[in-house]
Amino acid sequence: MRNLIRLLAIFLFSIGTGCTKNWLEREPEQILTDQQLWTNPQLVKSVIADYYSRLPYHTDFEGPYNCGPTIVYCGWKDYASYDEAMWSGVSNFDFEFRNSLIDYPFSKWRLWNYDLIRDINLAIDQIEKVNSPKMTEAIKAEYIAELRYLRAFNYFELVKRMGGVPIITTQLIYDFEGDPSYLQQARNTEEEVYLFIEAEINDIANSLGNQGSKTRANKYTALALKSRAMLYAGSIARYNSLMPAPISLPKGEVGIPASRAAYFFESSLKASREIISSGVYQLYKNNPDPAQNFYEMISTKNNNNEVIMAVDYSVSQGKRHLFTLENIPRSLRKDVENVSGSSALSPSLNLVESFEYTDGSPGILKGVGTGSNTAEGQKNWIFYDKPEDIFRNKDPRLAGTILYPGSSFAGQALDLQAGVYVWNATAGKYDRVEGGLNTQYSDGGRLTGGDGPLHNENYVSSTGFYLKKYLDSSPGAETSAVRSEVWWVQFRLGEVYLNAAEAAFELGQADAVSYINTLRERAGFGAGSLASLSLERIRNERKVELAFEDHRVWDLKRWRIAHEVWDGTAGNPDANIFALFPYRIVRPGHPDHGKYVFDKFKSTRNTRPRYFRSGNYYSEIPQSVIDNNPKIVRNPFH
Amino acid sequence: MKIQSFIFGFFLLALCMACEKDNYAPPASQLRGSVVYNNQPIGLRSGGVQLELWQPGFALNRKIPVYIDQDGSFSAALFDGTYKLTFVSGNGPWIVSQDTILLDVKGDTQVSVPVKPFFIPKEEKISVQNGKVSAAMTIERIDNSRTLQNVGLYVGTTAILDNINNKQRTEVTAATIGQTGGPVSLEVTLPASLSSRDYIFARLGIRVSGVNEMIFSPVVKLELK
Repeated sequence: MRNLIRLLAIFLFSIGTGCTKNWLEREPEQILTDQQLWTNPQLVKSVIADYYSRLPYHTDFEGPYNCGPTIVYCGWKDYASYDEAMWSGVSNFDFEFRNSLIDYPFSKWRLWNYDLIRDINLAIDQIEKVNSPKMTEAIKAEYIAELRYLRAFNYFELVKRMGGVPIITTQLIYDFEGDPSYLQQARNTEEEVYLFIEAEINDIANSLGNQGSKTRANKYTALALKSRAMLYAGSIARYNSLMPAPISLPKGEVGIPASRAAYFFESSLKASREIISSGVYQLYKNNPDPAQNFYEMISTKNNNNEVIMAVDYSVSQGKRHLFTLENIPRSLRKDVENVSGSSALSPSLNLVESFEYTDGSPGILKGVGTGSNTAEGQKNWIFYDKPEDIFRNKDPRLAGTILYPGSSFAGQALDLQAGVYVWNATAGKYDRVEGGLNTQYSDGGRLTGGDGPLHNENYVSSTGFYLKKYLDSSPGAETSAVRSEVWWVQFRLGEVYLNAAEAAFELGQADAVSYINTLRERAGFGAGSLASLSLERIRNERKVELAFEDHRVWDLKRWRIAHEVWDGTAGNPDANIFALFPYRIVRPGHPDHGKYVFDKFKSTRNTRPRYFRSGNYYSEIPQSVIDNNPKIVRNPFH
Repeated sequence: MKIQSFIFGFFLLALCMACEKDNYAPPASQLRGSVVYNNQPIGLRSGGVQLELWQPGFALNRKIPVYIDQDGSFSAALFDGTYKLTFVSGNGPWIVSQDTILLDVKGDTQVSVPVKPFFIPKEEKISVQNGKVSAAMTIERIDNSRTLQNVGLYVGTTAILDNINNKQRTEVTAATIGQTGGPVSLEVTLPASLSSRDYIFARLGIRVSGVNEMIFSPVVKLELK
């Protein structure tokens, strides 16, 4: 009883004296109020940094680790879904499905991220009405311009995937009256969305700060976005209407009238010219070796005046990625802890042959067999002294983008040899012998190299090539302890030159060829290497210059040729992934002994031709969106 | 002892009485049907064309995709009820004469879906001789709103056969046929991998410009030995 009285006394004492401050009306310690946030420029910067990291990309260095066929966003792994490369990493179906993809699902590329747009609109509203000495008018204007750039960028990502989408520029706030229909907005036309992007950029370009930044938007970033977006709009206007049956919806939600093509091309050309003539950026020419120069143009950050905008990484700051670990050639992988990894993307022979010879002739490799192991399949062979001889006189950008037999990376030579061909005098042909990784033939020489290629093996090239672009040569970049800090380039001057050339060509202007020639001169061709341009030339130039930079699929879509290039048929060389395997000749006493031959064949691991259907030009709008807003009409063919 | 038997009895009672099965029965009614023109089923690419089934009256709509087989038939396992069968525009090689078909599914239900194709193959003959497959047919134009793009002969080793899934094919463009249709003949030489087999399959297809899916004649089995 006495104890109870004591306890009661302590309790009463605490109540009487404990809380002097008003307990229920303290400032929250774990969340920031609107008042605290929007009055502090430093915090607003953090908010904007978050929005940058939430921007949608397609084949960047991020993306969920396991993402099967139904998952829309996978990051860089989707390079293996098109014609630049195939998958040769882990053979788990969540990765390997790309090698047996029957067709692209209608949901591929789909995006409906109005959560980000809502947050940007909210931030703009709050910054506009904030009244604080730290947030001066100049700071406010700069932040609002940057937020509007992010919103324009996001709308471009939406329109290139979905066609016309509702343009929402204010916060939508529900009044709790039971009828949300006033919040339901129908889709704007595709043309209106592109015009909105153009108008926004025209409005903000001169208000943007961040001069010289390559990771935050400045005036030239906005112009680069305009150059790209307007080019897309122009080519959709032109090439959609040239289709036998143009893809359109009655109210123009998808499809742009052909008459608008010239307007958009002119707008794109104007933006490209402004960037080029400003002199702020120069094509990267710091290394006299053109192949190495092309590689450094992407992977070097020092003195790089070509890159306009990139998603940056930094090992010392802890923001790093596994792209190099996943794509390092097999014999160079170092990570003992994590032996899974290496060789995930095998670049295709299709891409290798798209690189021209330096004399401007088509890049078809000479003297390759068919891989049929018959005398007939061997009659075209050229016997090369060294494996790299077959790639002699190719566009130096090939060696800057792809590692092929005879290449080395970070000072280490690759060991690419698929097997040997042994002379069989009775049959009058060579017999093919292939082995496992790192094996010796009975004559003491190499049978199969430490880098393969092998037809059907995890973590070994399946095409005879490895990727070089974006691979990090700094020490430890291929280990999971260090990882890579190579940045992911969004906009660079090389693309602006190509945009300018294409827009000028579409408008019939004579200077189109000079833009391409400038770019080809940097690449290692002579000055004035092209006398005239053709559409095929421009398209091929984009394919090789911008390979593995997230352009190929979008380019084919806007030119409206994706359904012809990737038509899903087994006989179409563009829709199938081809491999090139090097072999050593064993024929003692003969002059060809010890030389190298090449076989070209359809990859056995990539079993399905690429099949792009008309319904893939615009992705499927999720049913939940239509349920919530019945004014949204579906895209064609869905 | 008494208590133990009481517990045991209680346990038995619980075992027998407590759990009714609480799962839904699986959908038991079969909807079967085919896409027809003049009561003749239309040949298509297997799994290429999609119809949609919607069940109205619920808050959230989810379509039930129904893929059409290569002989024009389709089927779906459903619960009894009223459904809407709709076409996806531009998906099939035909003009949709009726946008939505209201269906009462009660037990096994049959439905035929009438469509109007742009072209149909008629009087098709496919034969094989001396390692060559020869085919002929008459193309009849039914509707003028789209143009003919090409006609193809497809040869394969399996009964599921179309313009995507085949081993050998030949195609002629509309330029050599003419837009009004008429008789067409095609020929394809078999490679050794096909001519050494016991039998092969073949079929003819017609492509209309602007439509992904082709319209096909029935698959024919050709005996080589």
